[in-house]
Amino acid sequence: MTGGKDGAPEKPRQAENSSEHENPFDIWLKRGLHQLFDDVANEPIPEELLRLIEEDRDDRAP
Amino acid sequence: MSSFHDQVIQILPKLRVQALSLTRNRSAAEDLVQDAVCNALAAQDSFIPGTNFSAWMHRILRNRFISDLRKRRETTDIDDVPASSFASNATHEDSLALKDLSMALSRLPADQREALVMVVVQGMSYEALAEATGCAVGTAKSRVFRARRQLEAWMTGDLPANDKLRVKVAALRATLDDRRRKGLKSDDLFTF
Repeated sequence: MTGGKDGAPEKPRQAENSSEHENPFDIWLKRGLHQLFDDVANEPIPEELLRLIEEDRDDRAP
Repeated sequence: MSSFHDQVIQILPKLRVQALSLTRNRSAAEDLVQDAVCNALAAQDSFIPGTNFSAWMHRILRNRFISDLRKRRETTDIDDVPASSFASNATHEDSLALKDLSMALSRLPADQREALVMVVVQGMSYEALAEATGCAVGTAKSRVFRARRQLEAWMTGDLPANDKLRVKVAALRATLDDRRRKGLKSDDLFTF
């Protein structure tokens, strides 16, 4: 990909305060994606999965 | 410095997001995370402390997804997974815009969807995305760019069922432009 104004990629979205420079659709998209995915990230970790990890930790303990 | 197992626990939320972006199905995503964790625990001796644990872990999950996909392809296809699976609860289901976004997302190729979500939702840099998905930085940028522009095309014009949304987006654009000219904030406009 090349940089530039004619259909080229936007700059990377790393800065938290970069929204002023994003186009309206990208701002809308970011908010929509967060609404779709944030709940998943914030859900409690299943006990079964945590137990699996802890059991492996215990098995490898010296 | 965190132990290997602490690092696994800490990265679980991000793995879940990556898994959901790939599978488009919450139940399948949970299974994928668990399988990836099992693979990581089995392969932990191959991880070199001090190297990029996040990229290592994301690659394991991605490889597991691809491996599972290959096994399943004989009987089914990833595109058969219902598109509505992205929507996470009843409140979100009520939102026309989110439902349409969910459907449009499901139409993207899995690698583009994964790249978009990891950059936009996880705040991952293109360099980190490239390392986590085993591709060149240019490829990572291209995937995100193509995903954005494809979604924009679908959401604003090319998706026949989305006339109402297209009108809504056009109105939003006009309002945003107007407010920008006047130097006003626009945060209150973005409610779903």
